[in-house]
Amino acid sequence: MASDNEELEVVGAETPHTADVVAWDVPSAIAAGERFRIKVGIKCAHECDLTNGDVAVFDHKGARIATGTLPGDLWPGTTGLYVAEIELEAPSVHGLYTWTVKGPGSSVGVPHAEGSVSFGVRVVSQPDHLVTIETVDHVNQVPLSGARVVMHPYRAVTDERGRAELRVAKGAYTLFVSQTRYLTLGLPVEVDADMSTRAELDLEPVIERN
Amino acid sequence: MAKKRDEDQKDRQRQDEKAVSRRDFVKAGAAAGVGAAVLTTSGTALAQVSPTNAIRWNYEADVVIIGAGCTGLPAAIRARDLGASVIVVDQNFDPGGKMLHSGGQISLGGGDPLQLRDIAGEGDKEGFVTAPRQHAVAELTEDPDFLFRDHTDWSVMDAAAQAPYRYNERDLHRAYADNCYATREFLMANYVRMGRISGTHGNGGMSRARRAVTFFMEGPTTDVKKGTVSKQDAGIAGKSSSHFAPRFMEDGSMVASKGARVNGAALARPLEFSAREKGVQFILNRHMDEIIREQQFSGRVVGIRASYSPRLDTQTGVRLESLWQNGNVDDRTETIYIRARKAIIIGAGGHGANPQFRSMFYPAWREPAFVSSGWALLGPRGQDASGIIAGMRVGANLAGMQQNLSYASTFHFPGNLATRDPYTDMLPGHPTFSMRGSTGINLANDSFQHLIVVNQVGKRFFNEMLVTTRQGGANFPAGPNKGQPRKGLDHVQLDWRNASVENIRSTYAEPNSIHAALAMNEGSKAPDFLSGPIWAIFDRAAVERDKWNIEPPFTSPTNGFFFSAATIEELAAKILKGHEFQRVPLTYLKETVAKWNSYVDKGSDPEFARGTDAPMHRIDTPPFYAATLYPVWHDSYGGLRINGRAQVVDMQGEPIPGLYAGGESSGGGNQHGLGRALVHGYIAGTNAAKEGT
Repeated sequence: MASDNEELEVVGAETPHTADVVAWDVPSAIAAGERFRIKVGIKCAHECDLTNGDVAVFDHKGARIATGTLPGDLWPGTTGLYVAEIELEAPSVHGLYTWTVKGPGSSVGVPHAEGSVSFGVRVVSQPDHLVTIETVDHVNQVPLSGARVVMHPYRAVTDERGRAELRVAKGAYTLFVSQTRYLTLGLPVEVDADMSTRAELDLEPVIERN
Repeated sequence: MAKKRDEDQKDRQRQDEKAVSRRDFVKAGAAAGVGAAVLTTSGTALAQVSPTNAIRWNYEADVVIIGAGCTGLPAAIRARDLGASVIVVDQNFDPGGKMLHSGGQISLGGGDPLQLRDIAGEGDKEGFVTAPRQHAVAELTEDPDFLFRDHTDWSVMDAAAQAPYRYNERDLHRAYADNCYATREFLMANYVRMGRISGTHGNGGMSRARRAVTFFMEGPTTDVKKGTVSKQDAGIAGKSSSHFAPRFMEDGSMVASKGARVNGAALARPLEFSAREKGVQFILNRHMDEIIREQQFSGRVVGIRASYSPRLDTQTGVRLESLWQNGNVDDRTETIYIRARKAIIIGAGGHGANPQFRSMFYPAWREPAFVSSGWALLGPRGQDASGIIAGMRVGANLAGMQQNLSYASTFHFPGNLATRDPYTDMLPGHPTFSMRGSTGINLANDSFQHLIVVNQVGKRFFNEMLVTTRQGGANFPAGPNKGQPRKGLDHVQLDWRNASVENIRSTYAEPNSIHAALAMNEGSKAPDFLSGPIWAIFDRAAVERDKWNIEPPFTSPTNGFFFSAATIEELAAKILKGHEFQRVPLTYLKETVAKWNSYVDKGSDPEFARGTDAPMHRIDTPPFYAATLYPVWHDSYGGLRINGRAQVVDMQGEPIPGLYAGGESSGGGNQHGLGRALVHGYIAGTNAAKEGT
């Protein structure tokens, strides 16, 4: 139901409310045919209660491939963002697909114009090789945990030993290792076998104010 | 209530001798050492027949100084040392000007006492400076002639292909070189402690190390005479600054010894303390509006007109008061006139906060949203070009106006989000924090991989990894990263190869990103076509990934420089409603974010070539955030033309009798930092005191 909102009264009963849609937690690389889950959020511009609102996911051809219902959960740090989790299945052929989430349609009391958002689904071949990265501070050689390791589209975060593992397809990549307050390391790598590498990061210089 | 009519010189000297010990009250509640200056009560009928039709002078002194900053304070002390009575007028509630929030780094040179101290391998008399020297003897050895050549070297080009020394006024820099030794000595004689020489400031010369930073030792109490600062006054990292030091004082163990705390508070407070101790009088909360000359374009300058300019706490409305009170004259009359028997010294700062004035260099900077550094500290009338404008009104010429373009931090992006003044990383504790509202989210350059930056209509305009990058500042030890073919002692003064096309081609590195930020866009409207505000857009995942603190005091929920929302559409609406300078809707923001996310999915950015220098990250996890990424006009170059005696020079090339200027009120010098202003103040104070009455 609509909240007590002054603007709502001005809008009038026949004008559908605007609803905005958000989709996140989409894995950056998904193996062909693999099932994965994403989060979907919908917010009415007038902060209507969207519990039981419908959500639908459409693939790159416009086919409805999944539906869901907003269970009434609100996303922390926001007002009026209703969230659902939806399970999807990746296509069987590798490539980058653009899918779309839509909602909430006419499924809640007050009419809402259907909102939508698109997101990318990166489908990859079954990974061939294991890449192990060990990340340390260049000066004191202390392992850096929580560092981001990116070999697009593969991503990982280093553990408490400063280690991260990526299973990647054979090919040429730029390996990025980045950590808060450190200079990002960028390294071209050719992967044609399992490999391991050590990333020694330097602290970013302190900005001088004078 | 003390009132004194004009007295003869003998009486004035006698009064001066008593200045330190006498403590009469000029106004209830405000103590003032009256002896130093001859005072009258504002609003009384103590008229003097002035050449400008019977101005009633409310106060008078030998030397009247406009601005209690980096030029004004040394000038005041120096003039007092030479026996002059001195009144310092400042528009702010507390002395110190921009110097108070500076890094406290002072490049002098020419064989100054600290270079000699390091050459000799000695420390200071108090035993505070025990760190080893940072430079070899050869890197510290020079004389004034060598320094003069360095500061007027036509051949040096920086990495932005600017020539920072070529246009410096020759007479001014000859005097600068000749007075560096005396200025360094003067500072040390007035409670200023400085550490080891370490490199040189931007545009402070290519050939030798000349910079020392001012410090206090952390101690149980703050005691300027003993050189100590309490932990509270020095600031608690990430939590608080103080009235004493508006910015957190950094560790100075590398240049002094363990326990040293450094920044401009260790320069401004000692100078203020010494000035008050020596009987300089301060009329604070007082903005100079006019310099009065016998005739507009001829004769001596005789005094100033100044208006009451109190600073009020933006939350409580209570008037802000200076940290120290001795020597203050608390006059709340709307307009007063102050007579200067000998001289007026303009040390009123630069023009960085005057959009009309600064736009003569760059029309884009007519955008009023963007401020000068120290905006909250100095208040809405700080850095307003009033000293320069007042000089122009009595016939002064200008100098070095184009030198705003020759230093990298004149205007730049400091990379501090969610605050109007991104340069000054002030924490709560200083009385002006309420005006500021937020410290800001201070990001290192690599952290820009987690966000996108958009203009006022919500469009990206540059590779975010380069937005805060700037080049320039050709200074020792220089080398190719500063635009020069040779580094350190290998630099050759006045060598044509320094300016060769080949060298510029191989060293040029300026991305020019700030100009893309300031460019016209679809929201720019005639006649000024302002760029409007600039926004960093990011999401919750970025905050968690890179561990940003987005809570108060780093952001403010109410000052309109930081917003959060469940969706991008809501974020755009909140910015339009809540930010003072957002004049148009961010029409493209949703499309821009969607496009960015598609680039991340593809692993490349066809618009601005991101993805080659850092990983890319989607912006998709609510809540979403918008924080201003404002540029700042930090230091300004170009101002009143002054000669080697710091006299203001008119359009005919003649000094205006009795009028002096220095620091950012003056032009013709492209050296960054405090050294230039301190030397100007020292020279101006010396010569002003010697003027006849």
